[in-house]
Amino acid sequence: MTRSQPVLSVRGLHKSFGPVRALDGVDLEVHRHEVVALVGDNAAGKSTLAKVIAGVLTPDAGTVVVDGKAVPPGSPATARSLGVATVFQDLALAENLDVVQNLFLGQELAGKGGLGLDEATMENRAREILASLTSRIPSVRTPLSALSAGQRQTVAIARTQLGDPKVVVLDEPTASLSVAQTAEVLTHVQSLRDLGHGVILISHNLSDVLAVADRVEVLRHGHNNGSFTAAEVTHEAVVAAITGATRLRR
Amino acid sequence: MREANRARIVDAVKRYGGLTQVELASATGVSTATVSTIVRELLAAGVVETHSTSRSGRRATRVTMARQLGLVAGVQVGPRTLRVALSDLALDVVADQSMPLPLDHRVDTTLDRAALLVADLLEQVGADDDELLALGLALPAPVDGATGELALRGAMRGWEDTELATMLSRRIERPVHGDKDANLGAIAEHDLGAARGRRDVAYVRIGHTTTAGLLLDGNLHRGRGGTAGEIGHVQVDPSGPVCRCGNRGCLDTVVSAPALLGLLRASHGDLTLKDLLLRAADGDPGCRRVLSDAGRAVGRVVGDLATTLGPEAVVVGGELAGAGDVLLEPLREAVASRAVRTTHGPVPVLAGELGERAEILGALALARRQTQIELTQGGTTS
Repeated sequence: MTRSQPVLSVRGLHKSFGPVRALDGVDLEVHRHEVVALVGDNAAGKSTLAKVIAGVLTPDAGTVVVDGKAVPPGSPATARSLGVATVFQDLALAENLDVVQNLFLGQELAGKGGLGLDEATMENRAREILASLTSRIPSVRTPLSALSAGQRQTVAIARTQLGDPKVVVLDEPTASLSVAQTAEVLTHVQSLRDLGHGVILISHNLSDVLAVADRVEVLRHGHNNGSFTAAEVTHEAVVAAITGATRLRR
Repeated sequence: MREANRARIVDAVKRYGGLTQVELASATGVSTATVSTIVRELLAAGVVETHSTSRSGRRATRVTMARQLGLVAGVQVGPRTLRVALSDLALDVVADQSMPLPLDHRVDTTLDRAALLVADLLEQVGADDDELLALGLALPAPVDGATGELALRGAMRGWEDTELATMLSRRIERPVHGDKDANLGAIAEHDLGAARGRRDVAYVRIGHTTTAGLLLDGNLHRGRGGTAGEIGHVQVDPSGPVCRCGNRGCLDTVVSAPALLGLLRASHGDLTLKDLLLRAADGDPGCRRVLSDAGRAVGRVVGDLATTLGPEAVVVGGELAGAGDVLLEPLREAVASRAVRTTHGPVPVLAGELGERAEILGALALARRQTQIELTQGGTTS
């Protein structure tokens, strides 16, 4: 992509939990129209980084800038309004509600004159979003409990599309999915990129990551341990960086 | 009104593979009562089938398209995409799925995934495993028909010296027939697309690499070890860079995904083939120039091919064919100026009608053809 201003810029993030240095000076840039994969072993700091970017955790030091504006630490609502949409591993969906109700949970549209809810508009918007992600959920009125794990992930990804996000963060979206469901979620990731978003894809599965990412950033013990162009890197080089066989510093 | 609703319901069943009646009502906006009536009519007419199932603990009726005589599967392995489809013996696709793949994906992982996707699609349409008769496998390199091994080194890293059809056949326990993607695209465009009714056709597939499938007198010409039509390895520049095949200055070193995207790296950054097409469609001059030059380079080689073979038509397919006239016009001009001038005028250069579905449809057609041969010979299907 053209090297314009990055849409997300993370500089020198530090975060400790007692004696554990979860993030130890992490830098990260994401551009529009780009999928950046964040890979690393357990406890490499991937999810902590996602939580800091989403404004859920307050870093000890460092900055997160979205589209030129600094995200104030520890404020998920502000991060969201600046254009950071995040799907965490637990998805935070309500089993008993249908797809439309889940998409608009906490941000329902009021009906005419402030009476009730504008169900028709919400339903249409839900259909539009699912179509733009090339989703195959047949009905937006299906309750969540009737959907497969892959379709739930689809709903969670669709929810990021409300409110015009700039950066979409996906934490392990293909964990514990079947091959067909993984295929669908990876297709959604490509759709997000085609829609012009910057995407951060956190995953353990290198095969999934290398299928859709433009760039692979490796975290190891809370610091950057390699940055690769996905079109040029081999599986082995990424594994070497993850396991520490190759080192960037120290 | 009734007709429109019926069409809508059949479309929805085709699109999702299989749906319960309640889901059908919601997907089409038709009332549940009407859906139920129309499904009964379609059932009586043999268009759909219904199966009992349960959704969130409640009993429901699942509607799928009717299938006679069983199903065939198609798998297309590309450099960056895996496609899987199921169809009946009329080649009506009942379910399909595609999946992005990493660069230099591994043969064992990818064939495993293909087998799992086939199983998943069978489940989606409510079919038993034994309804699957055979599978056609499209591969992005020449395939030795006898063994299902790739006949060209360097085309797919790590996929050489492996009996691919046998390997997949062991996973799905069904006969698997493999061929080069362009050969299958040629069959599909001949049976269902732009080359209908023509007997001598060159199907030129421009995608991650350039290759061709040749139909002579209506039959696929596979050549020695399946290597006919490898126009990506025609030399276009004797002093050009060394190709993956080991020769110098092949067309592939000029027109291939890495070559074309490499031309744009300095000015546009890292693009994918899809980015290139999208930007060209938006009018980006650099991207349009790359595509028109690619069309011209391929056209010069295809012009010589046309002189040698004298085809009734050249059909252009593959991912880059999606660029349309920006690529096709220069290709057409180069063919016309390069090929021998006959009293019949220049050979028609047509855009494929099946687009990116050509190869998977060809894989389904191959599976069907092999099944029918076995049935008429009285052979078994397992």
